Amino acid sequence: MREEHGFGSDMHNNLLYGGRHVCFGALTDGLLRKTAYYGKKLLIFLGSIFLLSIVVFYISRLAPGDPLISYYGERAERMGPEEREWAKDRLGLKDSVSVQYVRWLTNALQGDFGISYKYKTDVMEVIGGRIGNTLLLGGTGFVLIFGLALLLGVLCAWHEGRLADRVICQVGTVTSCIPEFWLSLVLILIFAVNLKWLPSSGAYTAGRAEDPGDRILHLILPMTVVVTGHLWYYAYMIRNRILEELRADYVLLAKAKGMKRRSVMFRHCLRNVLPSYFSIMAISVPHIMGGTYIVETVFSFPGLGTLSYESARYKDYNLLMVLCMLSGAVVILCSLAAQTVNERVDPRMAGAGRTVLK
Amino acid sequence: MITERLIMRMETEQRCGSNAVQKRYGIVEINSMETGAGKQESAERMDHRFEIVGIRPATQAEPARRRKWYEGRPVFAAVLLSAIICGCLGCDLIMTKDPAFLDLENYNVSPCREFLFGTDTMGRDIFSMIWYGGRVSLFIGIAATLLSTSAAIVFGAASGCAPDWADGLMMRLTEILLSVPGLLVVILLQAVLGKANVVSISFVIGITGWMGIAKVVRSEVRQIRNSEYVIASRCMGGGFFHILWKHLTPNFISSIMFMAVMNIRSAIVAESTLSFMGIGLPVDEITWGSMLSLPEQALLTNSWWIILIPGLFLIATLVCITSLGNYLRAGVNRGESNF
Repeated sequence: MREEHGFGSDMHNNLLYGGRHVCFGALTDGLLRKTAYYGKKLLIFLGSIFLLSIVVFYISRLAPGDPLISYYGERAERMGPEEREWAKDRLGLKDSVSVQYVRWLTNALQGDFGISYKYKTDVMEVIGGRIGNTLLLGGTGFVLIFGLALLLGVLCAWHEGRLADRVICQVGTVTSCIPEFWLSLVLILIFAVNLKWLPSSGAYTAGRAEDPGDRILHLILPMTVVVTGHLWYYAYMIRNRILEELRADYVLLAKAKGMKRRSVMFRHCLRNVLPSYFSIMAISVPHIMGGTYIVETVFSFPGLGTLSYESARYKDYNLLMVLCMLSGAVVILCSLAAQTVNERVDPRMAGAGRTVLK
Repeated sequence: MITERLIMRMETEQRCGSNAVQKRYGIVEINSMETGAGKQESAERMDHRFEIVGIRPATQAEPARRRKWYEGRPVFAAVLLSAIICGCLGCDLIMTKDPAFLDLENYNVSPCREFLFGTDTMGRDIFSMIWYGGRVSLFIGIAATLLSTSAAIVFGAASGCAPDWADGLMMRLTEILLSVPGLLVVILLQAVLGKANVVSISFVIGITGWMGIAKVVRSEVRQIRNSEYVIASRCMGGGFFHILWKHLTPNFISSIMFMAVMNIRSAIVAESTLSFMGIGLPVDEITWGSMLSLPEQALLTNSWWIILIPGLFLIATLVCITSLGNYLRAGVNRGESNF
């Protein structure tokens, strides 16, 4: 019944929209709809970023802590009240929070995000020096996680219910239960303290910043933690999604036609699983990012994670703002991307959205 | 009446010019009410050139063998978890030392007869700390889950019963909250609430973990909110919470059980991660997380027991909770595969 209906609406779509290359009216109509669609997404994005900036600004200002310590260090504790007032005035912390926010916003819109209290240089410079490390760790981790997750998912689905599947599922469940920080500690204990094979912290040995081999050595442990911490969660999702697909009727038909198992899996099932795969990827970015931040703090890896942790702890307001906005932008972009994948990329969805009855 | 559908592939060898073998396929439906033996025979009676590539019984076949009561049930996990929980609850009976006592003469002692799991860098007995701290960790896990689950049920049901525009607004809000990394929110909230204690940290963890369940509750409520029994109850003057508790909750509780159990797990992980990073509970508040929060000295002196033993207890608990949760998950991919 359902298939017949789907087929019918497809036919209608072809009739209604298939001719749009010929008909000019339909063409502009489609373009308009597309612009409206992406314009709406852009508005949501900008609005969320704006809201986020207000929330983070107020929360960070209201939270207990002394920003002067991060600027003046130890000296801040020995300051007299007059000196403190002067210092606060100099950093622009004397006005009410709302005035500060408006000043920050006007500066930020002109591309000036202020200076970091701790590093005493432009915030963008501080972040620019660190962002490469985080991208390297997080990006490579992301690619590895999703490559391996697809492999494991297909492998498990292929051998569903058999020994290989059961063993991988058990091992995977256990690994997904290991907290990231503990795994990092154990790896440091084994490979850095006892075997002395790998370095335990940092991104490079002092003075050898340009040596790629040295950098890779420093990446191995954090990367292992990032990958094992997330791998099974996503592999299991993909496995279940494939298993769901394998229960569809078209698989039976394909088998009855005499298709090989391999081509059923890779030509039909995987193709249908791909949209969910992409949307899982998009949703996962914030989680993997959060995981990377924890791993960075444990390994004192000079990336954005350690930087955010420091700036939140020592009230380095300007730095904290930009870091929060940066992670927030990535998170919101990714969730919008996931929505777009769900609504647009899958051609079946495009058909379902435009009903004939509209 | 179709009792069985045999999918068959008929291979007829036809020589058409070259030596190519042409294959023909077909689906044969046997319209009969024969018994199992009869079916087999009829299948065998068919030409041997037919190859059966798939059989789908239309009626549910009897299971071949009665399963023992423990098969397919996580008995081992349940036993282990109850052992850990009992040990933590009755920690006063098990502990060999005072967990908070700083034994300055015996610090960093490796496991021996007196200190079963050794002592940490401050001279506290790890064996006693594990049972004592486990109680706090489990309490935080359960308290946070109770809070997040009840918040999720109320929010989800409210959203499900609300008019469309309010429902859309509430769901957008959950989606935004869902996409922010939970740990960052916890860190921010904790910074606002000030110095952490057991209650405040359960509150913070609970308040950040309700979104996933709320979405499920909302979609379940939307399906049943116009059922006759709900309308009847409303007509008789039942309030929102009455209907929620008496009529809606029993209907969707099974579908959120799995997520609720998984929430206990993530709450325990969140607590230990926070305490480890030094943003959660202080070192003198003993939990599995705070026991791991001074790793530098342990790493320097290579005292593996300080790191390994509490972590193994933590992971054993988490694995048990996970396998119990997986058991509760209702029928995922239980149907027969076509592959």
